Amino acid sequence: MDGDLAAFRAEVRDWLAAHLTGEFAPLVGAGGPGREHELTELRVAWERELGAAGWIGLGWPVADGGRGADIARQVVFFEEYARAGGPGRLSHIGEYLLAPTLVAYGTPEQRRRFLPPIARAQELWCQGYSEPEAGSDLASVRTTAVRDGDTWRITGQKVWTSLAHIAQWCFVLARTDPSASRHRGLSYLLVPMDQPGIEVRPIVQLTGTSEFNEVFFDGAVTAAANIVGAPGDGWRVAIGTLGFERGVATLGQQVGFARELDAVIAAARADGRLADPVHYDRLVDAWIGLRVLRYHALRTLGESAGANASVAKLLWANWHQRLGELAVDEPGAMLAEGEPYALSDAQRLFLFTRADTIYGGSNEIQRGIVADALLGKVGRR
Amino acid sequence: MRFGWTADQVALREAVRDLLASACPPSVVRAAWPGGDESSVEALWSALTGMGIPGAVGELGLDEVDLVSLLEETGYAAVPLPVVETAAVAAPLLAATGDPGGHLPGILAGRTRVAVAGGLVPYGRRATLVLHLDGPAAWLSTLDGAVDETTVDGSLAAVRVPKPSGEPLTEDAELVGLAADRLALGAAAQLVGLGRRMLDLTVGYVRERRQFGVPVGSFQAVKHHLADALVRLEFAAPAVYAAAWALAGRRPERGRDVSTAVLLATEAAREAARTAIQCHGAIGYTVEYDLHLYAKRAWAVAATCDTDAHLARVAEALDLKGAAA
Ligand SMILES: Cc1cc2nc3c(=O)[nH]c(=O)nc-3n(C[C@H](O)[C@H](O)[C@H](O)COP(=O)(O)OP(=O)(O)OC[C@H]3O[C@@H](n4cnc5c(N)ncnc54)[C@H](O)[C@@H]3O)c2cc1C
Repeated sequence: MDGDLAAFRAEVRDWLAAHLTGEFAPLVGAGGPGREHELTELRVAWERELGAAGWIGLGWPVADGGRGADIARQVVFFEEYARAGGPGRLSHIGEYLLAPTLVAYGTPEQRRRFLPPIARAQELWCQGYSEPEAGSDLASVRTTAVRDGDTWRITGQKVWTSLAHIAQWCFVLARTDPSASRHRGLSYLLVPMDQPGIEVRPIVQLTGTSEFNEVFFDGAVTAAANIVGAPGDGWRVAIGTLGFERGVATLGQQVGFARELDAVIAAARADGRLADPVHYDRLVDAWIGLRVLRYHALRTLGESAGANASVAKLLWANWHQRLGELAVDEPGAMLAEGEPYALSDAQRLFLFTRADTIYGGSNEIQRGIVADALLGKVGRR
Repeated sequence: MRFGWTADQVALREAVRDLLASACPPSVVRAAWPGGDESSVEALWSALTGMGIPGAVGELGLDEVDLVSLLEETGYAAVPLPVVETAAVAAPLLAATGDPGGHLPGILAGRTRVAVAGGLVPYGRRATLVLHLDGPAAWLSTLDGAVDETTVDGSLAAVRVPKPSGEPLTEDAELVGLAADRLALGAAAQLVGLGRRMLDLTVGYVRERRQFGVPVGSFQAVKHHLADALVRLEFAAPAVYAAAWALAGRRPERGRDVSTAVLLATEAAREAARTAIQCHGAIGYTVEYDLHLYAKRAWAVAATCDTDAHLARVAEALDLKGAAA
């Protein structure tokens, strides 16, 4: 078994070494935190390269276009990917959010239609949940979808939609029954982005670059069949999407974190900061924190997510945000050099990590979930 | 001893706050970013000059205690001009050295703005002279050969100047040290002001922003964040005022007190920025919303403070340094 795993690791490593070169060589280390805007077209091509080789949907059943790889292999892939300096991913929203949703709640036709193009990165996805008036309070979405013959007609506005500018599809939480109260009148729709009824406007972020967008729906259409779950069942599906166990992806993310920590340590060594006991204390703390993240992910691997997902989110968001602070913890580090808004890696990491505790459910919301789930149980015992 | 402001000091502070509310709204800070309309920034300096601020120390007869809350207000407004450098550092130093180059009249008239060189020269692009505080010596140089630098805070208009030989001002280490301490005090005061601004913006926002049918500011988690930020600022502010008092009285412990103020103020401002962004949610992570103007200024001003050196100076004053060795 271990021999097999070692062989698999060698396969991944060799493939990456052979492919992350030539036209893709500029991608090494690209698209990381605060650099999401970089080399987008080349990264889309890279996703297709990965997809063609079967590296997307690695853990899915073969019938869904995956390779049926076990968890250990998926982890190995992430580790090797990060180690090789593979660029920030663009197909993850389809792979890790939509695909498991379709497996859990979709029809066989939907799985056949949508999963293979995700696995080949021919269709990239974005997540259309948040709206100007519906952030933490997701159930208050106002975007509406109305049945019109064989289609749904969608009208409203989404906001903070990451990667909407490159995605071919969006999964949209919309209100289909205005008379039903909050959670009940919602539906989960799959909507093609390339149509006249949709307008995408970039929003500039703290980093001066843009990864998320406003998305305006003005009578946009999608086929009647492109609804996941029944009409009115969208809340359950939407929450399901958020709750899938992401332990494997988390372990992969941690390899990226380890690289960032290495870079922060290397910078501290280069400018003599390691001689400062206070500073290396903080670096040691960061390393320990990363171990804790890893142990937590390993311990909960394969368990149903629930509050564990919130614990994991809190752990990594806080850890990463502190790493961002550590990266610029040196007099002058937040004063940049360079061309118009050419930020240093450390500055980008710092600015980007301001958002870690907000997106994907803010710290305050996550703590609420942890408290309700874990303390609630303790209380009842 | 009661530690309070006189009626005059309060009145001055309020006058400056009112002036800046109209002369330096967020749109002017925005205009100070590359590509913006510099004329509104120029108009701001005229307004400050009209109040006598560049020459406040000599002309208005203010001391550091009078000055400190005024500087705090310039932080609150994120004034994108070298007001600390000109009014609190250069003008008094020139006065004390007899102004060999005859620059003071220009400062008082609003024609001359002086930036101070660290590694970078913040506001250098908007200055006419650069003051160098180098060990025991101080000297002035022009901006010949200055290279524009873009910083995280784009409104900082920073430049890098070649190490030129300039116009020597003094080699009196005492005077130069005093100037450096005034610069540090000014940074600390501005950081407290910036922290207050971010907190005010946030309080305004969480009152308006509704989720789950109520203002998000009604959630205890949000309230606690804001209370923590406020407490940190309220701890930092008296330390800044105490440092101003020690400086004004040329007290022997002034170095220790200035450093203490810097350490507290940098931390309080950074925490205020973190809290403010967090309590805003995603809108706080954008540049279309004004918060980032103040957060980036706070990060930039904090970055100009050599906190390691300040920590060491406090440790030395407490006789901690070298005790272990
Ligand atoms: C970089 C980035 C990328 C994103 N990408 C996407 C995307 O692709 N698709 C998408 O749909 N969304 C996306 N989002 C949006 C994200 O999900 C929301 O920002 C998040 O849900 C918070 O909503 P909000 O920003 O409206 O803040 P609000 O909900 O307005 O919250 C403001 C503050 O109030 C607090 N608060 C709110 N409710 C409570 C409560 N009940 N108890 C205690 N505190 C509370 C929050 O924690 C926060 O501090 C992204 C956000 C960011 C920053």
